[in-house]
This record gives sequence, structure tokens and C-alpha cells, in this order.
Amino acid sequence: MLDKVAALGKSVLDTIAGAGQAMVMLLRALIGKPQLRKSWPLLMQQMYSVGVLSLVIIVVSGLFIGMVLGLQGYTILVDFGAEQSLGPMVALSLLRELGPVVTALLFAGRAGSSLTAEIGLMKATEQLSSLEMMAVDPLRRVISPRFWAGFYSMPILAIIFSAVGIYGGYLVGVRWLGVDEGAFWSVMQSNVEWGQDILNGIIKSLVFAFVVTWIALHKGFHCTPTSVGISRATTSTVVTASLAVLGLDFVLTALMFG
Amino acid sequence: MTSADVDDLVVIENVDFAHGYGANKVYKGLEMRIPRGKITAVMGPSGIGKTTLLRLIGGQLKPQHGSIKFAGHDIPQLSRSALYEQRKRMSMLFQSGALFTDMSVYENIAFPIREHSDLPEEIIETIVLMKLEAVGLRGARDLMPAELSGGMARRAALARAIALDPELIMYDEPFAGQDPISMGVIVKLIKSLNNSLGITSIVVTHDVAEVLTIADKVFIIADKKVVAEGTPDELKASDDDLVQQFLSGEPDGPVAFHYDGPSFAKDIFGQELDSDSEKSRERESKQQESAEQKGNGNAG
Amino acid sequence: MESRNAQLAVGFFVIIGVLALLFLGLRAANTSIGSNGETYKLYAKFDNIGGLKERSPVKVGGVVVGRVSRITLDGDYYEPLVEMTISAKYDEFSNTSSVSVLTSGLLGEQYLGLSPGFIDDTVEMLDDGDYIQDTKSALVLEDLIGQFLFSQGND
Repeated sequence: MLDKVAALGKSVLDTIAGAGQAMVMLLRALIGKPQLRKSWPLLMQQMYSVGVLSLVIIVVSGLFIGMVLGLQGYTILVDFGAEQSLGPMVALSLLRELGPVVTALLFAGRAGSSLTAEIGLMKATEQLSSLEMMAVDPLRRVISPRFWAGFYSMPILAIIFSAVGIYGGYLVGVRWLGVDEGAFWSVMQSNVEWGQDILNGIIKSLVFAFVVTWIALHKGFHCTPTSVGISRATTSTVVTASLAVLGLDFVLTALMFG
Repeated sequence: MTSADVDDLVVIENVDFAHGYGANKVYKGLEMRIPRGKITAVMGPSGIGKTTLLRLIGGQLKPQHGSIKFAGHDIPQLSRSALYEQRKRMSMLFQSGALFTDMSVYENIAFPIREHSDLPEEIIETIVLMKLEAVGLRGARDLMPAELSGGMARRAALARAIALDPELIMYDEPFAGQDPISMGVIVKLIKSLNNSLGITSIVVTHDVAEVLTIADKVFIIADKKVVAEGTPDELKASDDDLVQQFLSGEPDGPVAFHYDGPSFAKDIFGQELDSDSEKSRERESKQQESAEQKGNGNAG
Repeated sequence: MESRNAQLAVGFFVIIGVLALLFLGLRAANTSIGSNGETYKLYAKFDNIGGLKERSPVKVGGVVVGRVSRITLDGDYYEPLVEMTISAKYDEFSNTSSVSVLTSGLLGEQYLGLSPGFIDDTVEMLDDGDYIQDTKSALVLEDLIGQFLFSQGND
């Protein structure tokens, strides 16, 4: 009995210590004078591997999710003779929820896990230590550009996801199922607002970007530098980041639309 | 400042160190003086924390107690930025080489120069080629680290370590896992770097024969502290059991073959053997036989 | 050289992102002139347009011939004035045509139903900028129920 209490206490302490480590890591990585000339190429390199390389999976899944939304929405709405509402249904679900959330989940799986594994492996092969011994702060050289790359990339990916998804809904709804094209767009336009829907979706996406990238970097930077440790850290990144995104999404939705 | 301080680049005094908050001390009352401009070998059985020693000197780990002075600066007391300033004067050759896997050999060696200077590209190229020439890898400049053999990777890492002309190089197990030829190459490189550039070298290793040929001073670490120090000749002449065990590589001696633990019998029977009764001893010796067979099976 | 390629790719990435944002902003959340080809404009005044919106379709017998391009309030009594953009292919509506606000299905969107009037020598064709006089307003559920109850009470 006491052992279990002790185990609980230890896990709570470990969690708090982990959160503290993550906080210190982020602060150290982001505070300090930026050297634009040196950090710009690094940022570009990371934007490429984190953002550009995630583009394919984002576009493909966005298209399919939009198409499924179009198909499902149509079969439900047509019973009420309200298939013209397909446009706003597709657009609002994508802009408010699916765009930011699914992008964040895919991002955690695609880019987050690779960030964790990359940094974990750099730690295991002593590359991080060797940076430190070269008097180069790995937080500034390795963590910081990856953080900003994730933070900037994800909202862009989410916007692309929503746009492609709406197009997918249009393909199925209008081109295939024959919803009136003008009604599709006009009803969408009269229901979608810049500030309420598009902007809030982008804000959500920024929050998710912050959290997912942070978790991925922290898990990699503080992993046990063995093969088991890295694989655990990678799994843990995907699980923790996904749960954090879904939980935060509820809170944000309640604040924005509640 | 005493005259000894002038001659010693690194002075370690009364250092206690344990990982994390653990009670298992790695070092207790460690004292070392690394002479400037010389090759110092640090030897000891595996798992004694030799790499930890290098990390302590490099400031990556902080001792719980004691001082580590590098050129007069107490490393554990330095602020972060002051520590980074001092690190520019030292460098470390990691066991794995730790080359950056996403850069070519050339870029790897140019990396510390680019980070710490604003030199134009032509000068950087000259420096990099000079360093590569020193380790004999000028022809491999465009290869990626994954394309190098273990020995070449370590030489490339050595070229990177000397890129900024440090005062101190720490070699972490430079000979581990090398074939005799590349081992000979690295021995020669350490020696020639020390001779030509006057770089102070600390070589952590357990390859006795190789390091004794080039070392000016040798420390043997065991049991959380320095147990012997001196020139290679002094150590060879030493009558200390442990020194002799280590230098000649005998399996058992002051450094026990077995890792500390409960006695074998206690592990197997759950109690110490009862030597009073003759019968029970007979019975138990039978049991022990069968238990040993089991134990061997498990070990296999 | 390698970093230049990365920069280029990131540049395209950002441009795609901006285009997607423009698409969302202009296509999904704003008005734009979607129809192309020759058009002309007709006007109609209603008492009540119900749920009619800009870009709602104008149909003749279920076939879309144009779109509502603007809805304003007009005149001293603030009557809703609807501007329709009709495809120039259909320019033979007589001025006896009527237009009414209709609903597609029970819960569907509202649209304008245009019924071509009779044609003989005495009537003229509708031209660009003409008003359709004969209009039927949208049916408002509350009004209908009110009328129903009122007529019940009179019996």
C-alpha cells in the first residue's frame, strides 16, 4: 500500500520535474539575442524538413477528409432537402475544427516523431555533447530553429489543409453529387466569417504548433540516449502531443465558440 | 599562485561526484594535476567513470564538492557564458567521433570555425584543408560521415577538434574498436599534434600498451580516486598489486573479477551455507551442482 | 547550394500557404463575381424576401438562369430591392413575367423562381435594368399561422 503511494508520489515528482526541464529548455532556447545571419539558414533548413516535407501528407489527407465530409454531409442533408447547406457544413467543420486539429495530429505523427528521434539520436551519438564542448549551445543551435520552424509551419499547413479540404468537399458535393455550385459557395460565404472562423482556426493552430513542437523537442532532448529510450521518447511524443492537442482543442473551442 | 599552478593546465582538487542525487559516488576526494603541453594518460578499469572525468573538466557535469581549475578558472563556479568562453580553449574527441551526420566532412570541420568567427570563406577553406591534411583525410573532404570507416571518422573528428587550435584536447577512448593500423595512426597523430602544436592532451583509455608509448604522465584511477600516478617507467617499476594487475591485464586481483553482490550461495539458496552439519553439506553440495548447472544454463 | 534549394522550397511552401489563405478568404468567406459570360440585370421589389441572399440562384422551371447579385432597401417605404444578374442567353422574358421567392425543400435555401409571361404583340421584352412588376414575396411561417388562426376565429 505504502509502496503504491510512494510510486504515485515518484511519478508526480517525475512529471513535475519533466515539465520544469521542458520549461527551462524552452526559455533557454528562445531567450537571448537572435543572430539573424546565422539562424536564418538553419530556420530555412528546418522549415524545409518540418514544413515542406509534411506538405504531401497534409494535402492528401485534407483532400480525402473534405471529400468524405462532402459525401457524408450530403447523404444527411439531402433527407431534409437542405443539400445547399453542404458548403457551410464542410467549410465550418474544416476551418474551426478539422483543419487545425487533424493537421496537429498528423504533424505530431510526421514531424514531431522525427524531431524527437533526430534529437534523441544526436544525443545518443554525443553530437549534442560535442556541440557543448565546442562552446556552441545546442539549445540555440539545435532546439531553437526547430521550434520556430514548427511554430511557423503548422498554421500554414492547417490553412492549406482547410483549403484543400473545402475543394475536396466541392468536388464531391458539386461535381459528383450535383449540389448547385452557386448555392454551395454562396451559402458558404454567407455563413463563414473571417474573424470568427478563419482567424480562430489559425489561432488554434498556433497554439497546437507551440505545444506539439515543444513536446517533441523536450522528449528528444531529455530522452534516455539508448535505442529503447529513443523509441520510447518517440512514442511518447506522439501520444502526449495528440492528447494535448485534443484536450486543448476542447478548451479553445469552449473559449472561442462556447 | 604557486609555481605548480603555472605548469599545470588542469588542477583537480578534492572532487566528490555522484550522478543525479544518487548515493553511489563515482569519485571521492579525487586529486589530479595535468601538466601543460604534455600527454597525460588516464587509465582504469571499465566503468570507473573515466568519461565522467572528462565531462567534469569540460563543465558538462558539476561535482558536488571540490574544485576543477582549467588555466586558473574554476570550471564548476563559472557562469554559463564564461564557461562557454573557456570551452573555446578546449576540445574533446568523443568515443563515437560525434561527427554531425547531416554535414560533409568538410562542413563538419568548418563548423566550429564558422560558429566562432566571421572569417571569409577562403580563409576557412585554407584552415579546413590544413586540418584535414594533418589527419591525412584531405581527399575525403566531400564524403559524408556515414561513408567513413570507424578509424577515418575518428580522424575526421580529430581534425574538427583541432580546428580552433585549442590548448587542451581530451581524448575519450581514442583506441576503442580500432584495428591495429588505425590505432597506430591515431597514436602517431596524438603524438605529433602534441609535439608540433604543443597541445596539452588527456587520453582516457584502457589500452595500456598503446598509451604507454606516448604518455608523459599516467594516472590510474580505481576505487573512486587516483591509486597511482607517475611516468610510464615509474609505473612499470611499481610494486603495487593493482598497478601490476592493470598493466599486465590479469583477470583477478585487487580489482575483483566479480561485481560486488551477495555471495553466490546466498543468491542461489536464499541463505548462507551452513557448514556445521556434514550431512547437510553433502546434500547441499549436490544441490549446488544441480544449481550450478541451472545457473550455467541461464548464463548461456 | 543545398541551403538555397531549401530556401526555394520553403518560399514555395509559404506562397502556397498564402494562396490557400486567399482562397479561404475570397472564396469561402467573401463575395466575388463567380459567373462569367455575358449578363444583363433585372430588378424586382418585394414586400419580404425571407431568407434570400446574394448569390442565390434565379431559376426558370428549376433551371438556373442567373443569380441574385445585390439586395438593397429602396424607396420611401424601404422595400427590399433585388438585383438579378441573368445570363444573356435568356433575354426573351416578357414584361408580364413574374418572380417569386421560393424555398427548395422543407429546410432548403431560398431562391428566386422566374415565370415567363405570355407573349403577344402588345407586350414588350425585358431589357437590362428593367423592373419586374409582378412579384410574390416569401412565405413567412409566422404570418401563415397568424392568417390561419385569424380565419379560424372568423368562422
